Amino acid sequence: METDPVAVAERPAPTSPDATASQVVIETRNLSKIYRDFWGRKKVQALNSLDIEIRQGEIFGLLGPNGSGKSTTIKLILGLLFPTSGRVLVFDKDASETSKNERVGYLPEESYLYKFLTAEETLDFYGRLFNMSAADRQRRVDELIKMVGLERARYRQLREFSKGMTRRVGLAQALINDPDLILLDEPTTGLDPIGTREMKDLILSLRDAGKTILLCSHQLADVQDVCDRVAILHQGELKELGRVEDLLKVQDVTEVHARGLSEQAKAEIADVIRRHGGQLQSMDNPTTTMEDLFLNIVRESEERPGHRRAAALPPDASGNPPASGNPPANPAALPPSAESPADRSSKSSGDAPS
Amino acid sequence: MTLQPEDFWSFSEWLLRPGAFLESALLQGVALLILAVLLGLVIGYIVSAVRYGPGEAFYAVAGVLRDLFTRDLPGTAPRRVYALARLAFKEAIRRRILFVIGLFAVGLLLAGWYLDPTSDDPARLYISFVLTATNYLILMLALFISCFSLPADIKSRTIYTIVTKPVRATEIVLGRIFGFTAVGTLLLVPMGLLSYLFVTRGLDHTHTVASIEELGDGRFVGETSYDRFHRHEFTIDAEGNGLAESERGHRHVVTKVGDEFIVGDPEGALRARVPQYGGLQFLNRQGLPDTQGIDVGYEHIRGGYGSGGLSRFIGRTIGPRRIEHGYIEGGTLCAAIFTFDEITPDKYPDGLPLEMKLRVFRTYKGDIVTGVRGTVTVRNPQNQAIESEPFPFVAQEYQVDETELPIEFDGTAGGESRTLNLFEDLVDENGHVEIVVRCSDPGQYLGLTQGDVYLRPRESTFGWNMTKAYFSIWLQMVMVIAFGVMFSTTLSGPVAMIATFVLVLLGFSAESVYDTRYYIDRGQTMGGGPIESLIRTFRQDAMTVELDIQSTPLKIIQGIDSVAVYTLDAVVTSLPNLPKMLGTAEYVASGFDVFGALLLRHTVTTLGYFILACFIGYFFLKTREIAA
Ligand SMILES: Nc1ncnc2c1ncn2[C@@H]1O[C@H](COP(=O)(O)OP(=O)(O)OP(=O)(O)O)[C@@H](O)[C@H]1O
Ligand SMILES: [Mg+2]
Repeated sequence: METDPVAVAERPAPTSPDATASQVVIETRNLSKIYRDFWGRKKVQALNSLDIEIRQGEIFGLLGPNGSGKSTTIKLILGLLFPTSGRVLVFDKDASETSKNERVGYLPEESYLYKFLTAEETLDFYGRLFNMSAADRQRRVDELIKMVGLERARYRQLREFSKGMTRRVGLAQALINDPDLILLDEPTTGLDPIGTREMKDLILSLRDAGKTILLCSHQLADVQDVCDRVAILHQGELKELGRVEDLLKVQDVTEVHARGLSEQAKAEIADVIRRHGGQLQSMDNPTTTMEDLFLNIVRESEERPGHRRAAALPPDASGNPPASGNPPANPAALPPSAESPADRSSKSSGDAPS
Repeated sequence: MTLQPEDFWSFSEWLLRPGAFLESALLQGVALLILAVLLGLVIGYIVSAVRYGPGEAFYAVAGVLRDLFTRDLPGTAPRRVYALARLAFKEAIRRRILFVIGLFAVGLLLAGWYLDPTSDDPARLYISFVLTATNYLILMLALFISCFSLPADIKSRTIYTIVTKPVRATEIVLGRIFGFTAVGTLLLVPMGLLSYLFVTRGLDHTHTVASIEELGDGRFVGETSYDRFHRHEFTIDAEGNGLAESERGHRHVVTKVGDEFIVGDPEGALRARVPQYGGLQFLNRQGLPDTQGIDVGYEHIRGGYGSGGLSRFIGRTIGPRRIEHGYIEGGTLCAAIFTFDEITPDKYPDGLPLEMKLRVFRTYKGDIVTGVRGTVTVRNPQNQAIESEPFPFVAQEYQVDETELPIEFDGTAGGESRTLNLFEDLVDENGHVEIVVRCSDPGQYLGLTQGDVYLRPRESTFGWNMTKAYFSIWLQMVMVIAFGVMFSTTLSGPVAMIATFVLVLLGFSAESVYDTRYYIDRGQTMGGGPIESLIRTFRQDAMTVELDIQSTPLKIIQGIDSVAVYTLDAVVTSLPNLPKMLGTAEYVASGFDVFGALLLRHTVTTLGYFILACFIGYFFLKTREIAA
């Protein structure tokens, strides 16, 4: 924590002005996706009326439990899936347009690469799919191999690679065209701690270079570290959207950090709070973490499905105690995953979209 | 090898069919393309109408068409097609597909033991064997490599990393086809070389001199040793040069060097005759022009129909297109008159090398070994009073008679006997000459078709002819690959393979489907359609007997059968006629140069189906939700 003697967090300002000024890179309008089987029967409503705008130069995080529609969103943005209704615009073009891909890089959730190619051949192959001179391509391949730390495995076939190594090639592949928009589906899975760290640094440096990044991840601490804004999905519905720092502020809790107070002074402050109708909860707990926020939203959403968590509503109104009341959750214990598709479809079909 | 009328067509005759435009290949190709496009659009429309409603579906289908012409076709970059082709190529190579060549070599070695060494025509046997074997092998390989790659990519989702690059559906389809074609070529070339070696080495042999006898005047007669189940008799002239008698399609040069006799390598086994065909006109017994020649009731040989084009499609049946032998009777005015054009001294400096492959039909047994006698007369087409003396020959069944008609020979010009000069007296100012074939044994018949009597201005090389046959195999391979890739854009690997296989099978059975339809059209009992023939199989009825079933069930069965057969006929008409393409092997095996026009036709046909497959594959891929 900072050395400021007293830092009082206030209610946040609405979206910062500079965000609206820069260009919209991805725009989804009322985007819905229903997976159907061969006969056109509905299987899963994977995404329901998603409206988000991602602007140039930001790192946007998509969060949500397993099966909440994160990968589906990314695939819709890439044109790998066709929306059931609504639209996706990428660089003001429809997602189905191939030419947008000149400026897009995509790291899939698992590494879908050709196992019979070597690392170098892989990058060379993907490079050939862009309008690049042979010399440029060669240089880019060298650069990327160095960047992802695979110099020693350069001439080995991917079938021999470990998971993390393959992941690194996948990342390099996504960056081969020096894209302006980078979509990372769980970028840190399979990476060692150093790799994770490097990945985060890389994402930040890409942002600093003016790139736009959309990532989804279950590593909430990482998301908290790098993302400018996040959206939280649950069962295909948008539950929360906003700047990370704003979301993490527990808005009706005032934090008081002070140093060198006597016991008496503490009692007095407690007294002041009580006099103003407040309730002293703790004097030393800092802001909530991404993890707490996430768990709260998921829990809440499970209790009252189909409703977007109103940002203005105090969390207490939903009956949940504020974050600080929770014991720190084990980071390994992921939030409950979505129910089986069959259950979900029957349930969500009963829900009117909000 | 019996040439069908359509084999004589030049490329443009085939493409345009002057006078019978409905049969033209061009029309058929264009109609097929349009039909495929319409069918694709209608199916696409129905599918998306079911999902998204009729209005949306219209936009979706129109969108695909618009994308094709405004974005995907102009945006298709050779660079990316090349990259994708290279990938497909690498994939196949890294899967060790080249092992097949080793297997092929081993197969050839084993086959060497099994090919009948006592065969009368070993060259035909060897050539047919290698060409047919490579043909089927390559088609099978093409089937395997083309059908599984794209579905595997979709299943393993590697395709995600491709389609999220600026890669167009056209490029994916083209890249795959080109890549696999490259693989196939890489397989085919060594197979071709191995086959060539197999044939030339396999037929190569020599003899020693077994017995020799000096004739008083410095000439020798003798017999070679018995090797490879045959021996040759030979004579050697006073200069020491000799030629052995032809045996099993080849002969040897025998020379006397000092006191030694040396038997050379086999000659004439591997030929590539470049024939010049003429027009054929029969004269009947009274000596009057006749289109057919006498029908002696021989069974009709297989093969034929073929390029009926759209006229089949729209249900206008055409009679049997296959050629029938016309017969000329001995001792009557019957004759077959061949008219050859472009007869010039440049082309034929030494006279006319005439070759005949005649059938023999005897009304009485007589002496089977000597064959039936006939004559050839050279005649001036414009002044038929100028003609040569008849050149006699003896026709043996299944043998090619080769005669060299000299430039100067005895003949009559307007009743006056004198020595005639071929180019001055007999070739008219248009460069035409007539050759009249007659049978001289009364009561016996000689049978022939247009392709059976020809001039042979030159000879091509066997190696070049093999190359052409392999090119024809290559074309079939490209076709199979294109269809395989087309199906694999939408079906899973095994299903795509079966679909392609069925197409190939239908392509190969084109002629039997045509036959069945022909018999149904004519009301002739000949096995009937699929159900009827199944019943016949169970009841063990012969093909030609009336089926002994009550008339109502029979009508129903035959009704269903005709629907099936007409449908099959339409399908088969729209597919490439593969037996026709396989037929080039027959040319090589028979020692004929594969016609350039024929090869060009196959090439254009392949190109047509290639475009068709690309289009359909594009449509499938474009409308497919890759990640669903
Ligand atoms: N191809 C598919 N066919 C049918 N249903 C699918 C398909 N892909 C995803 N789904 C369903 O859609 C829903 C959303 O899946 P999605 O992959 O978007 O989740 P996710 O948020 O990425 O989950 P995870 O964190 O596990 O990666 C799930 O219920 C899933 O079962
Ligand atoms: Mg996912």
